[in-house]
Amino acid sequence: MKVSFFETVRYLPPQALPAEWPVPSGAYDPEAGARAYRGMIERLAYVEELGFDWVSVSEHHYSPRILSPSPIVSAAFIAAQLRKLTIAMLGPIVPHSNPVRVAEELAMLDTMAEGRLVVGLLRGTANEAMTYDLNPQEARERTDEGMELILKAWTEPHPFGWQGRHFQYRTVSIWPRPLQQPHPPTFALGTSRESLDFAARHRLGCGVSYGPFEVMGKATRYYREQCARHGWEPTPEQILYRANMLVTGTDDEAQALLRAQADQAPFTLRAGVRDAMMALDARNIAGEARAAVVTGALPTTFIGSPDTVVEQVRRCREVVGAGVLDLSLHTPGSEDLEPLTRALELFGRKVLPRIREI
Amino acid sequence: MADEGHGEGSGGQGPLLICLQGPGAPRLTPAHDLLAGRFRLIVLEPPGASSDTLALAIARPGPETFDLLAASAGAEAALRLALQEPGRVRALVLEAPTLGDGELERRLSEVTAPTLVLVGTRDDAAATEAARRVKERVPDCHLVFVYDAGRAIAAERPEAFAEVVSDFLERHEAFVISRARSVIHP
Repeated sequence: MKVSFFETVRYLPPQALPAEWPVPSGAYDPEAGARAYRGMIERLAYVEELGFDWVSVSEHHYSPRILSPSPIVSAAFIAAQLRKLTIAMLGPIVPHSNPVRVAEELAMLDTMAEGRLVVGLLRGTANEAMTYDLNPQEARERTDEGMELILKAWTEPHPFGWQGRHFQYRTVSIWPRPLQQPHPPTFALGTSRESLDFAARHRLGCGVSYGPFEVMGKATRYYREQCARHGWEPTPEQILYRANMLVTGTDDEAQALLRAQADQAPFTLRAGVRDAMMALDARNIAGEARAAVVTGALPTTFIGSPDTVVEQVRRCREVVGAGVLDLSLHTPGSEDLEPLTRALELFGRKVLPRIREI
Repeated sequence: MADEGHGEGSGGQGPLLICLQGPGAPRLTPAHDLLAGRFRLIVLEPPGASSDTLALAIARPGPETFDLLAASAGAEAALRLALQEPGRVRALVLEAPTLGDGELERRLSEVTAPTLVLVGTRDDAAATEAARRVKERVPDCHLVFVYDAGRAIAAERPEAFAEVVSDFLERHEAFVISRARSVIHP
């Protein structure tokens, strides 16, 4: 099992902030922001020392929850300061990006980081459609087309034009190309039938997140079936599962901590906005409809003592088939970092060595 | 210029555009309707093996110059015609060209007509490979991928097909400069 640390850039606000997305920009504290990025590097030095394989960064906007609107900037900053960790860019949000620019930047990063790059391409959480005025109804199509254009820009040796539905370019010919040839290990992230089909068709990995093992297992089973239809079989390392983990000394302690956590949606939207978004943004798990907007806290699928968590990881491998775990060890938005440090240490010493062979 | 006999049909005003269909390709697509608004269109479907004979028969009588649009196996006939009548073929558009004639392939560097090669992103690897070979050898050649199209690009993505073909035939290599307007609220 490969293990990735989901770095959520902990911004600790000097005063309480409104919960609703978008959070007013005027409430931002520049010094707290500077501390957040310094803290990120200090934490990741420890993550590297503990023996994690990857650090993952993601794209979120207009909120202190995960202070990383441009994950490529986070990734480059991390790659320049840490020498061993592989950087997993799980973003960029493709439908509101310029796919050619994304291909160029990732190729630069892969080259500068000497091949320590893994890429996940995705559609983004529902609220992110509002970031750059993306029509949620077009998001899926733009994602599929953008992903295909990124792959083409990485691999096509001749200058080419792209006559798309949502993107049109007459001249594409990127420099540099990625160091890893033909391109860095790439995942299509998401449980939707469309995303899994895309991954299977292009021989990419797939990444699922947060849901219960059985439900995510349904998505990865569909993915493996589609891969077989296209004549290939993914390796376990091509199936990534992102989840929350709450690991403490005992099971009881972990359950008590979970009960104490606020049941707050990661990105809270006003009711009228949320309902309108739900009406326009259709999501599914391997073809079965699901809600686009998370209305409560994201589930914590790994919870308990190190022994319990190791068993849960074993079940995850069996049911989901995942060979890469991308773990958030602490609720983003919490104001106390001490539990994160404790969880990291406990995980690094008591869990990580035991799940390597799973 | 004759469009009787083997001709599938013609229409429109403007510059003459001769379309050489490959065997088995759809005869007329919505893309041809769109092109007919800007070009005088003659669409030909080779009755048998000899699309070359047909193409030359069509081309020979008049002094007129014309654009040539050819699909799949029709691309070889179009390329031969461009080699034989360099003064008359203004520009060449090859839709998912297939190549099987080594002698012709060796002579591609002599093609003087500005050439546009289109290939669908859902077409097979061989189609992309053939398109690249044309791109590598024809001196003034542009390669454009048509997203989400298979072999029959004009039938599957008619608007996308007609837009890039019209723009290229009008502006040749200058078609790489965008004229799309991005003003939202003037």
